Amino acid sequence: MGPDGAPGPAVPWRKVLWERQPFPDNYVDQRFLEELRRNEGIRQYRYWTVVKEAGFVGEQLSCVAIFITLWLYMEQGQLSPERLLWSSLICALLGYGLHQALTSQVQSGCEPRTRLADLQSATIFLSFTFGFSPVLKTLTESVSTDTVYAMSAMMLLAHLVSFPYAQPSPPGSLSLNAALFASVCLASRLPGALHTFAMLSCALLVFALWPCLLQRLREKAPSHFTGVCVGVCFAGVGGLGSQWPGGAVLLALALGSVTLLCPLLLVRLQRHKDNIQGPWDEAEIQEDLSHFLH
Amino acid sequence: MVLKIFFPQCCNRADSGLLVGRWLSGHDSAVVLAVIHYPFIPGQVKQYIQQIQARSGVELSVLGSWSLPKEGQEGMESFLRDLSTIFPQKRWLQINRELGKTGFNCQVLSRDQNGRVIPREIKKKADKIDGDDGEKKGKKKTKKEEEKEKEEEKEKEEEKEKEEEKEKEKEKEKEEEKEKEEDEEEKVIFVHYEQRKVMLSQLHPIENGLSDPTTDPTSELRQMFRSVALSQPLFFLDRYDDGPLKSTHWQSEGREASIIVELLKHSTLPLCVLIRWLLSIWTWICNIRVFSLSPLRFLSSKLSTCVQLSYRTEHMRTLSSQKPAAGHTEFMRKANMVVSVLLDVALGMLLMWWLYKDNHISMLANTLVPAADHVAKELEELLQWLMGAPAGLKMNRALDQVLGRFFLYHIHLWISYIHLMSPFIEGILWYGGLSACFGLTFALSLLSDMVALLTFHIYCFYVYGARLYCLKIYGLSSLWRLFRGKKWNVLRQRVDSCSYDLDQLFIGTLLFTVLLFLLPTTALYYLVFTLLRLVVVLFQGVLHLSVDFINSFPLFAVALRITRSYRLAEGVKFKVLCEEPGTALHLLMEINPLKSSTVVQLYRTPTYSCYPKDSWAALAKKLFVGELIYPWRHKTTKTD
Repeated sequence: MGPDGAPGPAVPWRKVLWERQPFPDNYVDQRFLEELRRNEGIRQYRYWTVVKEAGFVGEQLSCVAIFITLWLYMEQGQLSPERLLWSSLICALLGYGLHQALTSQVQSGCEPRTRLADLQSATIFLSFTFGFSPVLKTLTESVSTDTVYAMSAMMLLAHLVSFPYAQPSPPGSLSLNAALFASVCLASRLPGALHTFAMLSCALLVFALWPCLLQRLREKAPSHFTGVCVGVCFAGVGGLGSQWPGGAVLLALALGSVTLLCPLLLVRLQRHKDNIQGPWDEAEIQEDLSHFLH
Repeated sequence: MVLKIFFPQCCNRADSGLLVGRWLSGHDSAVVLAVIHYPFIPGQVKQYIQQIQARSGVELSVLGSWSLPKEGQEGMESFLRDLSTIFPQKRWLQINRELGKTGFNCQVLSRDQNGRVIPREIKKKADKIDGDDGEKKGKKKTKKEEEKEKEEEKEKEEEKEKEEEKEKEKEKEKEEEKEKEEDEEEKVIFVHYEQRKVMLSQLHPIENGLSDPTTDPTSELRQMFRSVALSQPLFFLDRYDDGPLKSTHWQSEGREASIIVELLKHSTLPLCVLIRWLLSIWTWICNIRVFSLSPLRFLSSKLSTCVQLSYRTEHMRTLSSQKPAAGHTEFMRKANMVVSVLLDVALGMLLMWWLYKDNHISMLANTLVPAADHVAKELEELLQWLMGAPAGLKMNRALDQVLGRFFLYHIHLWISYIHLMSPFIEGILWYGGLSACFGLTFALSLLSDMVALLTFHIYCFYVYGARLYCLKIYGLSSLWRLFRGKKWNVLRQRVDSCSYDLDQLFIGTLLFTVLLFLLPTTALYYLVFTLLRLVVVLFQGVLHLSVDFINSFPLFAVALRITRSYRLAEGVKFKVLCEEPGTALHLLMEINPLKSSTVVQLYRTPTYSCYPKDSWAALAKKLFVGELIYPWRHKTTKTD
């Protein structure tokens, strides 16, 4: 029925514009709503799948917590820089071995990095960090501690917000840079140049190399990935608890809400989704038009 | 139809005679230039007019007759009318002024194709035109602007309607020639002008002398000014000469025949030759290959003394050229130059007299070294203050110390240099002071250069600070792009996103952090030394401005504008002398002098200050980014 309510003539209405028809321009017939489609292409989430994916966010949160824990230990002198350096070195070597093992399992199409290039990168990291650590040490001397803390908190938050959770290898520029900036700020508050060096190496390990390894793990061994995430989360909560119990409780709450509560909400609210599509939408070009362009 | 007659004021009371002048081509108006008195032989008049015409290039002709009858000279009407047959003209003006009365009667006789004279228009009476025409001015002064506008409008309308009117007039004439001869009236406007002023004045804007006045339909006023100015040879005929003709027109009260002026005139020629010879030697010296080597050339382009020298050389070259000035503009330019050079030298002599009078030189030299010491001490204190916690700012201690010590060492070097120089300073000043005999501008330029040399340490500080700051700003801006994962695309001149390697990101962030935390320290040093530098640049800028002012200010033109304001005319204004219905309109034409600002703008000698200047915003941007600023202008950027 048309909007005017006029009785239709004998000629059937056709949805074309190039013919003169005895109908007003805004006429549509009863078939109009037949083409209505609801929630087209919707993905039905299952709770545990979502929890598993959200676990990665919690894992990154825990990484930040672990880094802060290490820094707290260093600042209070309970962890000597040598120990941190040695343990970082061992972790790095182990991680590198694992990474190589995971890479060699499947020969991917793109050309893998050679050992020499990796060694070169490592040398650059270490030499620059070592060379700059005395400068970095005195960098924030005149800036008040509160300012430095506030800046670091902002930068770590920026890191968490801008981290590319879907495609974390290599980590996005902004997230990595923000994390490094925060770690430089924090490291410059430590008592000695070696402390700074150790802290920065640790930051490099936590924020730059660890996401690469984790991504590889997620691709190759998804079952282990979940386990690792859970382990990191527990390590983060436990580590923070040893220094700052209140912080640990907060972290645990945050982790719980991110990994358990938010997926639940998502799945629950999925039912209320009502998205309608129909012929009134703007046209989507389906055909490949490239042959017109040549 | 309105006929305009430009009538010289000096002929108001002339004896009767012939009106000599010119019809303005394309306009219905005539300029009366002179009155030739009786008695004359017509052949001689014609010959004389031809002579003058050949000399001045103005198409002169006999316009008509002028009569101011004295006692016993009555009844000349028929004689005057007969004259028109002797000097055949298309139109014959018959202007007469009755004794005792002060009005003009004007009669226009037209000659038709057959050569028959038709008295077309009779009688226009005017009240009061006399030497003391000023009487009515007071009343009409408020009206003068309106009158001017009215006049201009009238002129325009006339031109449009001229053709139609002419035709109508002709038809009318044919039809009503006999019946209504008296009623038919042609309006005549007398425009009284002061011949001397009009002759001497130059109407602005100046047009090039190239355009031919006969083919080029220029404005009426311009033609009138031109014809009066060109007929200068006519005015040299003296009233008291024993020539065959007597005439009345403006003439000077005898030439100014001062012996000094004559001597000066004669001495300029050898002076010019001498200057040219000196200039040729100077040019030869300048062209020696040693001076065109790059460091010397660069140095000389930056030293304001050398720049001033080159300006003066050019001025001298212009002045000493043998060719006389062609045209008004070039003449004014030369005159301005002469006056500026003379003033410059006079001021310089004054300065020299002051300097060498009471041994001021040694006084200056004795105060200079302690002053430099004092400046150095102040700078040291400033640096000590900067090395602490200046204004409670949080500086990076290590960098602060490094920079402070570096600058302190520089000051130490500087002081040693000054003390090494101190025995020679008096001599330098003494000989430098001699340069003032070339002019004040030289002394000022030398002073500017000496200030530049004496404050070289400040310049060095500034350059170090600016370079450091510039490096930081550029580094930070590019690293900030890296921080966000972007990069500057040079080819497309835009910011693109880019995926960096891990090590690039790491080092970039490290450097970014370092630069960001060190920026306040560098910026503070930069700020302080920039302020110091700005003080020096300001002082040098004031010196440069005053030098440039002396170089380029058109003193001659401005003096001319003040003392003889009619010489540079922008236009004319009219005052109504007599406006009564039924009588001819009498207007007094006065010259509107050129505005002083226009005079300065038009006649200033071109120097570097005439080029467009950097805006303040550009300067502020330069200062913010840390580019170097100089008191002089970059020639390369100027030509772009």
